[in-house]
Parts: sequence; C-alpha cells; structure tokens
Amino acid sequence: MTTRARALVLAALLLLAPQAAQALEFKPYGRGAFAQLRKEHADRPLIAHFWSVTCPPCLAELPEWAKLLRERKGVDVVFVNVDPDGDRARAAMRIEKAGLAGAAHYAFADDFAERLYYEVDTSWRGEMPFTALVAPDGGIVAVTGAIDDPLIAGWLEKRGKSAP
Amino acid sequence: MKRMVLTVVASFLASVALAQQPAPPAEGVAAKPAHAGHAPPACADPRPECSATATPAFARDGKLWLAFAVGRTVYAASSRDNGKSFAPATAVFAAPDGVVDSNGEARPKIVPLADGSLLVSYTTRPDKVMMGTVFLARSTDGGKSFSPPQPLLSEGGQRFETFVVAPKGRVYAAWLDKTNLLKAKAEGRPFAGSGVAFGWSDNGGASFEGKKILMDHACECCRVFGALDRDGLPVFVWRHVFDGEVRDHYAAKLSADGARLAGGRVSDDDWAVNSCPHHGPSLTIDAAGAWHVVWFTKGKKRSGLFYAASRDGGKSFSEPEKFGDDARAPSHAAVLAAKGRLHRVWKEFDGEATTIAAQVSADGGKNWSAPRAVAATADASDHPLLIERKGAVYLSWLTRKEGYRLIALPREAAKSAALDRKRP
Repeated sequence: MTTRARALVLAALLLLAPQAAQALEFKPYGRGAFAQLRKEHADRPLIAHFWSVTCPPCLAELPEWAKLLRERKGVDVVFVNVDPDGDRARAAMRIEKAGLAGAAHYAFADDFAERLYYEVDTSWRGEMPFTALVAPDGGIVAVTGAIDDPLIAGWLEKRGKSAP
Repeated sequence: MKRMVLTVVASFLASVALAQQPAPPAEGVAAKPAHAGHAPPACADPRPECSATATPAFARDGKLWLAFAVGRTVYAASSRDNGKSFAPATAVFAAPDGVVDSNGEARPKIVPLADGSLLVSYTTRPDKVMMGTVFLARSTDGGKSFSPPQPLLSEGGQRFETFVVAPKGRVYAAWLDKTNLLKAKAEGRPFAGSGVAFGWSDNGGASFEGKKILMDHACECCRVFGALDRDGLPVFVWRHVFDGEVRDHYAAKLSADGARLAGGRVSDDDWAVNSCPHHGPSLTIDAAGAWHVVWFTKGKKRSGLFYAASRDGGKSFSEPEKFGDDARAPSHAAVLAAKGRLHRVWKEFDGEATTIAAQVSADGGKNWSAPRAVAATADASDHPLLIERKGAVYLSWLTRKEGYRLIALPREAAKSAALDRKRP
C-alpha cells in the first residue's frame, strides 16, 4: 500500500471513529501457536486466556482480567479470542469496553478448532472461558471456568511472588 | 456532502479490505511458513463445502435438503442423490451486517413439511446488538424462492432454535430466550443462563402460537435438541444451570396445550462451572417410547461422553453409561433410533485427525456394538449429525477437506455383517 493510501485509510478510520475498536490488532493464532507462545514466554509465568463473544461468563469477567493486569506485575498474560472472523469486530469492541485494549491479543486463525484446543490441553473440548496457567518451568494448569476459580488465585499467589 | 464522503470512504475501505483479503496475516505466532499447511481461507461460493456447518433434512420425496450459511448469507440446497451432488443453492437471506450463527451448536436449519413446503430458520446477531434474533422463511415453490424472513420474536433475544414436526403437521419450536435475563439485569438481580421457550405453528411456520418461556436457567450456549414422542408430542433436552452453577442436563415433554413441561434431570454429573461448554446434548425416542439421551460432561461425578435412557417419560433415567475413548478427546455425540436399532456417533481426535466413531444397539441401548470408525478428516469439521429415511440411518458430516458426506450406517455390528456375507 502506498503512503498516500495509508494516509487515506487512516483518515477514513478517524472519520469512522465510533468503529475504531476494529483497529485493535489480533495476532493470528493457528496450529502450533500454543507451543510458540510457550517458547516466547519461556522462563516467565504465562497466562493464556481463551474467550468468546458468544460466552456470557467470558464477557462478564473481562473487566476482572483488566483489573488483574493492573495488579499483577511479572506475569505475562495473553488473550486468545476463539471466535470466527465475523465476530472479531464484536470481540474488539468488548476488549475496548473492558479496558483491555493495551493487552496482547490473539485470535483463532484456523477453524480446525479441536486441534487448537488439543494442543493446549488434551481434555479441552472448547469450554469457555478457558485459561492455561504456564509456570516458568513449563508446568501447565488448565482451568475451565471463571477467573474467580481458586486454581487461578492459588497459582497467581505463587507465580506472582516468584516472578522478577 | 458529509454523507457522500462517508460513502466514498466506506467503499474505499471495502475495496482495500477486499484487495487485502487473500494476503496472509503480517505477523503472529502462526504466520510463519512453517505453518503454511493451514486451512485455506474459506471459499465464498454458495456451496455447502464453503460453510462451517450444514444441517440436513430429508423431504418426503426423498430429496436431501441442507441449510447452511456462507459469510452472512443463508442458503438452502437440495440433492437427489443423497448428498453426492447438489442443485444450485437458493439464497434465503443475506444479513447486512453482524453475524449469522453458523457453528456446531447454533446453525441454520431446514424443515421440509408434508405439503412440500420448506421452513428455514437462522439466528442473526447484528452489529452493536448482543442479542440474537431467530428468523423464519418459507418456500412454497420447492425451494426456488423463500418468503421475506420474519422474526420469531422481535424483542428479548433468542438463539438455539430447534423444531419438531408432529404427525398432523404441527411444527413445534423450542429456543433459548434471554427475555427474563434482560428483565433481571434491568432490576439489578442476578440471573443464571437463559429461559427455555416453546411455541407451535399450524400453518407451516408462517406464524407461531403460544410462544412462552416455560422454564428458566438453561445453559445459554449449548444447543437444545428435540425429538417426537409416540403420542405426537415433542420432547426436548438441554443443558441446564442447576443450583450452584451446576450445568447438567434436563429433558422434558411439552404438554398438549403447550403450557407445561413434564420431565426430569437426566443425570447428576455435578459439573459446577461458570462457563460455556458450547457442547449440547442429543435425544431420540424409539418405537417403545424410551427417551435416549447422549451428552458431554466434565462433572465431579463423571467426565466424558455418556448415554442414558428414560422409560417413564423422563421421571427417571438409567445409570449413565460412558462411551468414547477418553484418550482421544471424544465429543459432540448424536443418537438416533430407527427401525429397531439405536445408533450413536461422536467425534474423536488423536492430535492429528478427527474420526467419527459409530455404534449400534439392537436392544434399545442395553448393549452396543464395538465402536467403528465411519469417517475421518485431518482438518476442520462440523459436528456429526444423524438423519433417517425409511428406516435407514445416515451420518451427515461436513468437513473442510472432503466436503459434504452422507454415509449410511449399517444396521448390524461389523462382526455380524461379515458373517452375513458368508451366507449363500
């Protein structure tokens, strides 16, 4: 795209300001993505949180995740939206609304969903929200359900403290 | 003037978006050449294989109909050769924005009726609206054209519609309805899940009567499944939110006046979870009137795929029987009774390929044949569905690589079939 075209697009986006949520960037999450994420965050505690706009419990707790991000230093958190492309604008809107626009966001870029689930946890069939807690040593705790799950709090207590 | 600029800008944006569509994502953990073996971008032709889901139904004349969505357009297509080839699809509706539900759990549906008319349903979620709306469109010219779609309800928020056609032609509908949730929210009260609502139509789906929420607190993101009982009344099963966020199953029959439900809890799995399993049950009713249910749970008491039957109209269910190989992520089971046999199928995944496993029972679900792989794929796929015609049961399965398949399931276990072949 030429510079002029870029400028035009930018101007257009500004004009369409109410829909600017779509400017939020989702990195593609496909086959092998989870292993890649683990590699990229090796030696640091990592939370990979999977969510969907068609999951009311997911939406209800997004602000809680924003709060957690503000409070917990030293834990990497990435969000993975599992919806198909058609729902992405809606997902971006929810992220903005929850105050999570500054976080790291990925989105399913492959509809072989069972494979993407399986790569994270062989017992995961697509329940949402779903959270993978990856310890610095690589150990994984999989949590099906909301952020208030004691598993998450317990893991954070330990990992949060041991983090640099 | 401003409007024109906006239009120009919008069309410019659209052309930029179109021009960029085939380009691979610029960066990200999956964008490397090492992952080039990914599924290609979904095609955009009005063909079943360009959809994520296709919901089948046989018409009385033996035509196989599929309802499916490509992008935001809902289509109906028919096949005279059991799904090997399809006539050009008819567009039922094109949503201007937002999303048409087209996933394993929530999907367009088609109901061929005895008079040759067709009823198509789908759910839209427009931009900036969090609620779904169920739409219905009819065809009285054999699927050449469809009436302008009408909303089932114009307020509240509905999804997961399903239909059961009674012998006299009444079309029963069930769906999940957020009306009471919205009411509770407005009053600041907590409210778990959605309502389960019902209605019926005596004019082929042109209008529905008696639309009413009969039970609250169904799990809001799993399919509702219906079947016809011997007495001509519909029975439905759904994942329910019991006290303590326990998401186990409930099955119930609609009364003749459409005002009451009679049934019971399918099992006490104790899956207490504040989450969306996106994993609904399946139900069939055999000639003896037994209700057969299959479902998925990750409960404290049991985890995996399970089967149970009720022989007293849902008052009690048999002890849940586990099936599927837990080492292969079994999921999305379907069950169907036909001509003295009970069939069940489900997905299994081994890390590379998805297989549809099948079993058959000749004694009403007490004993089952050894699981047999009837189809497989190494890419994205729809839920496996079962449909029946003239006593024969078929697996209906849409997969990204292979396209649409309709596979006849044998009435006998593999062993006895082999024996049969040896007979003179």
